[in-house]
Amino acid sequence: MRLAFILSEIGSGLRRNLSMVVSVILVTFVSLTFVGAAGMLQLQINQMKGYWYDKVQVAIFLCGEGSTAAGCATGSATPEQQENLRTLLESPAVAQYINDFQFESKDDAYKHFKEQFSNSPIVDSVTPDQLPASFRINMKDPEKYQIISETFSSQPGVETVIDQRQVLERLFSVMNAASLVAVIIAGVMIVCAILLIATTIRLSAFSRRRETGIMRLVGASKIVIQLPFVLEGVIAAVIGAALASGTLWAVAHFFLGEYMSKQYPDTPFISPAQTLILIPALIGLGATLAGISSLLTLRRYLRV
Amino acid sequence: MIRFENVTKVYDQTTRPALDSVNLEIDRGEFAFLVGASGSGKSTFLRLVLKEDRATSGAVYVAGQNVANISSWRVPRLRRGIGVVFQDFRLLPQKNVFANVAFAMQVIGKSRSIIRDTVPEVLKTVGLEGKEHRMPHELSGGEQQRVAIARAVVNRPGILLADEPTGNLDPTTSMGIMGVLDKINQNGTTVVMATHDDDIVNEMRKRVVELRNGVVIRDEARALYTSMIPVVGQSRRLKDASGRPDNPEEDPGDGSFPSQTGEAL
Repeated sequence: MRLAFILSEIGSGLRRNLSMVVSVILVTFVSLTFVGAAGMLQLQINQMKGYWYDKVQVAIFLCGEGSTAAGCATGSATPEQQENLRTLLESPAVAQYINDFQFESKDDAYKHFKEQFSNSPIVDSVTPDQLPASFRINMKDPEKYQIISETFSSQPGVETVIDQRQVLERLFSVMNAASLVAVIIAGVMIVCAILLIATTIRLSAFSRRRETGIMRLVGASKIVIQLPFVLEGVIAAVIGAALASGTLWAVAHFFLGEYMSKQYPDTPFISPAQTLILIPALIGLGATLAGISSLLTLRRYLRV
Repeated sequence: MIRFENVTKVYDQTTRPALDSVNLEIDRGEFAFLVGASGSGKSTFLRLVLKEDRATSGAVYVAGQNVANISSWRVPRLRRGIGVVFQDFRLLPQKNVFANVAFAMQVIGKSRSIIRDTVPEVLKTVGLEGKEHRMPHELSGGEQQRVAIARAVVNRPGILLADEPTGNLDPTTSMGIMGVLDKINQNGTTVVMATHDDDIVNEMRKRVVELRNGVVIRDEARALYTSMIPVVGQSRRLKDASGRPDNPEEDPGDGSFPSQTGEAL
């Protein structure tokens, strides 16, 4: 009975305050969409890290024809220099950091290059001589890159040592910056949402002050009086959170899944299923924000 | 049932207390009038019984319990034992008579079947049989007040507080309301009624507690309103044939409550 009564009170409250409720829904929708976007960016970064970090290597490029690096004074790397490097890589001091390594000759490099840029006219203007030979090293711990770099960059016949991770790190830092911006926008929008929920509850409490006054007098408990107002805010916020969740799922499904993955088939994009873990977080966040802000408002504007 | 021990209530340190060392006991089943000019402390008395306000000093006992010791989450239980009726009825305009009375039962979680049984019974007690489906604006003032009384007593409280229940009603209708209150009192409910209405007090011949400036100046059983105190507001409107002089000096509180006087006029 009491539950039915509370539900009917919520219904009448939502109807009476419809425009305010709609604005609460929209504001929570927008703010939580930004929160979710930040979450999706982080998921995407993790996804790419997991995918690429297994594949990225440290590359020791050997001197080519026109190399100008200090170690290349003798011109193109000789087979002896190449053998020295191989021995050094197999020595225990270095081998402990390395899983394995391959040698990529100029011809191998040319083959890979052709595969990678098969659609591009640049392939026709490149010859195997222009591409440097290299050792490709898979690290046990990619963080130990510095050791390899220090050991090899001063060796004769080595042009440069490159950690492919650093290329990715630059991309990730851009993505991190984007998610930070999303979080900041979300923060501002959440402040808006909290204030708007507080105002809505205040209006709602004011428009029903006759009822609440009588409820107080006849001895209704605090819960029966306050719960309809709190739930009103929570319901509006949860609807907003559900809309935000739907939007994120749609972005993952249609934009990333159908459009972006065709444009960049090599990039591992997050799947729509992965965004599902964001949904309970968004709904929980929306409900908590609404609950707290309406309780604080009621404490001031609805004496029990 | 209600006991005040040396109760003082100060709203504002700069003005005189609203109640000043009041000692008073109202027994179970008693009918007591609280009389006095506006601002004499009648409403404060009622508010302290309901624990709407906290006494500045002294103790207020309701049904044997010191209200100061009732924790805030148990205040609703205290209020379930007290019915309240106001001068302005305070009905819910969008609910019909039945729903207005049922509201008081719904919010404390009474079951639908109990509500269906009890509400018509109470409406019969207050003389509103057959008007269950009228809306408040379709009723006369007296009928609206009967609905308010029905709502106040539907949960069978031990105490009924009435704050000038006849203030907006003409003398004949007022007597009808008094009949209802008397009937409720005879069923065992303690009734405390704050009023300016000397006709009613004189007619009923019940206990009269008179307050002036927050002090009990008279407490008599089966008493009259007594015409010693000049009364302004609606009582003068009803009694102006007697042509009593208006003496503002004896009624200093009146000016500070313009709304109450204004409503009456």
